[in-house]
Amino acid sequence: MWRYVLRRLIESAATFVLATIVVFIGVRALPGDPARALAGEESDPQALAEIRRAYGLDQSIVVQYIRYVGRAVQGDLGTSARTGLPVSQTIGHALPVTLQLSTFAIVVAVVIGLSTGIVASVRRRTTAEWAANTVALLGLSIPVFWFGQMVILLFAIAYPVLPASGFVSFFSNPVESLRHLLLPGMVLGSALAAVIMRQTRSAMLEALGSDYIRTARAKGLGAGQVVVGHALRNSLIVVTTIVGLQLGALISGVVVTEQIFVLPGFGKLIVDAVLTRDYPMIQGLVLVTATAYIVINLLVDLLYSVIDPRIRVGGAAL
Amino acid sequence: MHVFRRAAVLLVLAATACSSIDSPGPSPLSAGPDNRPLRNGGELRVALSAEPDLLDPTLARTLVGRTVFNAICEKLYDVDEKLAVVPQLAAALPDVSADGKTVTVKLRSGLKFADGSTMDATAVKTSLDRHRTLKGSARTSELSSVDGVDVVDGSTVAIRLKAPFAPLAAVLADRAGMIMSPAALTAQGDKFATNPVCIGPYKFSSRVAQDRIEVVKDTNYYNAAKVHLDKVTYKIIAEPSTRFNNLRSGDVEILDAVAATDVDALKSDANLRLLTSASLGYQGITVNIANSSGVGQAPGTLAAPYAGPLSTDAKVRQAFELSIDREAINQVVFRGQFAPACGPISPDSQLSSDAAQACPKHDAAAAKNLLSQAGVTTPVKVGMVIGTDAQARRLGEAIQAQAREGGFEIELQPTEFSASLDQTDKGKFQLFQIGWSGRVDPDGNIANFLTTKGSQNISGYSNPEIDSLIAQARSTTDLAKRKDLYGQIITKARADASIIYLYRAKNLLGVSAKVGGVKLFGDGILRFGEAGFAVGS
Repeated sequence: MWRYVLRRLIESAATFVLATIVVFIGVRALPGDPARALAGEESDPQALAEIRRAYGLDQSIVVQYIRYVGRAVQGDLGTSARTGLPVSQTIGHALPVTLQLSTFAIVVAVVIGLSTGIVASVRRRTTAEWAANTVALLGLSIPVFWFGQMVILLFAIAYPVLPASGFVSFFSNPVESLRHLLLPGMVLGSALAAVIMRQTRSAMLEALGSDYIRTARAKGLGAGQVVVGHALRNSLIVVTTIVGLQLGALISGVVVTEQIFVLPGFGKLIVDAVLTRDYPMIQGLVLVTATAYIVINLLVDLLYSVIDPRIRVGGAAL
Repeated sequence: MHVFRRAAVLLVLAATACSSIDSPGPSPLSAGPDNRPLRNGGELRVALSAEPDLLDPTLARTLVGRTVFNAICEKLYDVDEKLAVVPQLAAALPDVSADGKTVTVKLRSGLKFADGSTMDATAVKTSLDRHRTLKGSARTSELSSVDGVDVVDGSTVAIRLKAPFAPLAAVLADRAGMIMSPAALTAQGDKFATNPVCIGPYKFSSRVAQDRIEVVKDTNYYNAAKVHLDKVTYKIIAEPSTRFNNLRSGDVEILDAVAATDVDALKSDANLRLLTSASLGYQGITVNIANSSGVGQAPGTLAAPYAGPLSTDAKVRQAFELSIDREAINQVVFRGQFAPACGPISPDSQLSSDAAQACPKHDAAAAKNLLSQAGVTTPVKVGMVIGTDAQARRLGEAIQAQAREGGFEIELQPTEFSASLDQTDKGKFQLFQIGWSGRVDPDGNIANFLTTKGSQNISGYSNPEIDSLIAQARSTTDLAKRKDLYGQIITKARADASIIYLYRAKNLLGVSAKVGGVKLFGDGILRFGEAGFAVGS
């Protein structure tokens, strides 16, 4: 077991180092001079030289990398070239916004997706199924940026019941937080809801046609117990897997949704950092993301090995 | 010492570009100035079009940052609604010595910084020296004419110049004239931008990157009695339609940089009004004439793929200019909101003249005739770097269509902004559609772009005669003489056509009808010092 853990830790460390190198080179491969981007419309050559010196851009890429990693391992991600604020502090502000938005969007998607999926499978060839399918098709087809503008026009301008922008932390004011998250959560969750609906419907149809459902009905169970207690329960395995696979798509949707609803989250931060060539900020953001992926993968792999000992045995034999 | 007040006013000068209120339909503000009484208290939310950079007057570079500074960092001088320089932290306009090389600034007494410390001549010297000498300072070139700053007494400083420099008062009416608390500078060192301390109607409170900047009323401010608001929050909303939606929904009360395409919708909304002022800047097309090895390098001969008749023959560039219909561009792309421009000086400037505003009329036939005289094969193929947003694309397509009639075939090259700046600095372009936000003194719109060693002369343009005329215009304080010199400069520069000026935008500000007291001058900076919510709103 410990050999397996050690091997996975070494692999993760190697992946981390590779990720930092890719990020470092990738950021510098972007077209455009960061000093020029920082200088704005005033581009005095002396000032440009000073900016390059201040951010170490006049050094070789190897020196820049070693300095960066040296600071990063001590937890210092540097300061934003744009705002002068610490990168870690800025990411610390942005991360909870994106996490709360994503969580809310998943809740919205699961509630809408599951309920419409169940209705569509139970009420086949009825108006209800047709309506549910239409909602799913729209959810998949409508681009997030357009849908976002439309709900703002409807619920914030024509009938001003919800705010058009902004963020309030759930932990400081839950009611206001939900009011601010409702529109972006609905927009972000719509595409995922459509996927969940379709998967739920097909898994439920398969389950409802199974022998054990017929047996359950023959035993005299009520319709609700059969659908929820047996068919849905078995269908959830497939649906859960699909939700997990769609989380990547959700993150890309966050980038657009945060721009439309002016949410100061991870997605908005990364877009603005790229547009202003804020190297320290881009590096910090990608480093945090890569670290999260590596740590989660490591934990999942270790968990697998606990659940199924064959995995670590197989790993050790390789 | 010769008292030079009149000259100081003349240094700067620009005249009638003050804010006006366009008719907002049935709004109570539809006619005349806004004199409604304002109540004390409340938070004003302002949507800015971009994220300000460092909130350190010495290091700051963005135009949008100047709006935030206006609330928290006053300057030795400011401009009024006619863009004339007026004293702000200084007690009076500067006195200039007979030889023009010593400028004496008297300071107001009893002023306190937001941290409670007192502003005096030593504080002014500390700030000006920091602007001039701090590593990475963005003010170094603006103050390059300054040789040193001396404390004369507790409320007087003398600025020694290397040579007479007419635009100095205008320079000190911008970030180079902002005075910072020496105590805060000492305490915070290179972290001053994270908690700037100056003198202003508001003081810095907090900042969350990419989200908001908050400033609160400063009770130490000398004019605190006139400040109505408790707090101003600047929200960063880059996307124009999102910004406009936030104004309409009431999530913000002020909208910076209204898109020209949203003006009609804004005017038709009774809850909103539009403030406008003529911009000091311009938009144009820069032609790469001789930037073969990068901006700041000696002009050279362009190689493929950037070489072509546009770079080598002024007649071809003149033909290109004749093929552009500026009024049509204004109507089609900007719905008539802006104004055609044929030169770098705003017509509202006191240094403007008939020569500075002369404009060749659109004439496609004459353009073709010039091309024929130049002996080039038509259509002349040329690439033009443009921005990637919808407005840049519409403008590029309009120019492309017009130039086709004149005998040019333009390939549009949409390029992300940062990448385009880098590319064009290096001389890797033929045409570049770019503008300039403008400065109060026309020198700021001309010298860096048209002199051979100008830091923004990406064209590689070099004309010793123009270099000499610009130097003369900088060193004289005689208004009539400067006016004449700028007329000559623009006439000569137009014949060479290194920059083909297109239009002058307006500063367009969307304001909730609940809010009064907002000032918008030609410099495009939003002033909220006396703003507030109308009584009863």
